[in-house]
Amino acid sequence: MDSAGYTSLTRQSGLMREMQAVANNIANISTTGFRREGLIFAEHISALEPDEASLSMAYANVRMTSNAQGALSQTGGAFDFAIEGDGFFMIETPEGETLTRNGAFTPNEAGELVTHDGFRVLDTGGAPIFIPPDAKSISVATDGTYSADGRPLGQIGLFAPEDPNDMSRRDGVRFLVPGGTLPVDDPRIVQGFTESSNVNAVTEIARMIEVQHAYELGQKFLEREDERIRAVLSTLSR
Amino acid sequence: MRALTIAATGMSAQQMRVETISQNLANMNTTGYNARRAEFADLHYQQLTRAGSISASDGRMLPTGVQLGLGVRPSSVTVELAQGSLSSTGGDLDIAIEGKGYFEVTLPSGASAYTRDGGLNRSPDGLIVTSDGHAVQPEITIPDDARSISINAQGEVYAYFNDQIQPQQLGQFTLAGFTNSKGLEAIGGNLFLETGASGPALVNTPGQDGIGTMRQGFLEDSSVDAVREVTELIEAQRGYELNAKVITAADQMLSATTQIR
Repeated sequence: MDSAGYTSLTRQSGLMREMQAVANNIANISTTGFRREGLIFAEHISALEPDEASLSMAYANVRMTSNAQGALSQTGGAFDFAIEGDGFFMIETPEGETLTRNGAFTPNEAGELVTHDGFRVLDTGGAPIFIPPDAKSISVATDGTYSADGRPLGQIGLFAPEDPNDMSRRDGVRFLVPGGTLPVDDPRIVQGFTESSNVNAVTEIARMIEVQHAYELGQKFLEREDERIRAVLSTLSR
Repeated sequence: MRALTIAATGMSAQQMRVETISQNLANMNTTGYNARRAEFADLHYQQLTRAGSISASDGRMLPTGVQLGLGVRPSSVTVELAQGSLSSTGGDLDIAIEGKGYFEVTLPSGASAYTRDGGLNRSPDGLIVTSDGHAVQPEITIPDDARSISINAQGEVYAYFNDQIQPQQLGQFTLAGFTNSKGLEAIGGNLFLETGASGPALVNTPGQDGIGTMRQGFLEDSSVDAVREVTELIEAQRGYELNAKVITAADQMLSATTQIR
């Protein structure tokens, strides 16, 4: 008798999660290289008694990461890079090699190119990138070849996960790829720009309002259900 | 209800951005000032369903799982190293650095600090000092009877005297360069200190190894771009409002919850 209430409850807890995802997207609206995340709900059907209708519940079981290109914003920094199109920068971290679209780098005290969290950026061969301290100017071609004062030194690597679904998010706009990576065929790196977060404020707010109203609808439904059961109880016990 | 705290991290991030922008705008006319930029990174993720776990309903392996983010954190406020435009002042001791080097000055404590502010002065005993009175390294003293001084691109300081035709060389400025200039610690007064992240100061004569050259009679303007700062300010303000909207919505959802019997 009370399965209607439970069905509504799975919906409500799913909406809470969805709200959390929306809040996280909006909180990261200014995070360089951030990828919008979303949830996909699936139907979970449980069979009841043989002669009754089956019961369907919605629950969030899959995460979705939007791969839409974020807007490029000009910074003018020699060590700020944006990727146009596919691919990620490869970052060396204690938990293994991770991927990121956040191309705001800086040289460290040893002259190696690192992220703002201090992790080393790797080139096409998986080696750290060294920036000579006495170089007057560092220029990076669209294919990632970096040169100091016109002398080519190496190529910044762009990689893509072998299985695009097999990516797990880490803090600092990074993705851990347990399934391995492949070099990108046609890399396009733009120097002096960074890629803005690909969160679209309008879509997120619309989604938020939708979630909020769906949640309130669910609450109304639970209230009605509560009233109905009370009415049944009072009628039967009269 | 995590949405509330997540939106709060978003609001504090946008607030920090506004603070950085107001610092930049306040220093629009500070000689040798470089604009600062706040950078953000996402926080840890909550693993609700691990990727690769087995779905309870039909035993399939889930390809991606569910990860929910917990908000945003400031990752760094970086100095955007850019050459500011040079404005002509005509002053004898106004020196702009064209390139990435810094003047080395001695603080009262005896420690070295670094600055790009080339608005230099003479101390009562003729020493070349910054506008705050810190001695510029290497110390160069200008004699009282010098008629005028000239400084060339390599930082060599010459004095002209009334009774001499040939100028007399008083000394030569040096410039300090860093492997990672963004790693310097700003201490106010246009001064920076060396840190572990910046690497040690590499002192060189101007014009050598890309460290930059000197221009007498010019000062380096602040590299703050007012138009860009104002557009960023609008963005930050709207970002703040969006996060506030999330808090309102989350609050309304919570209040709907508390109204159930």
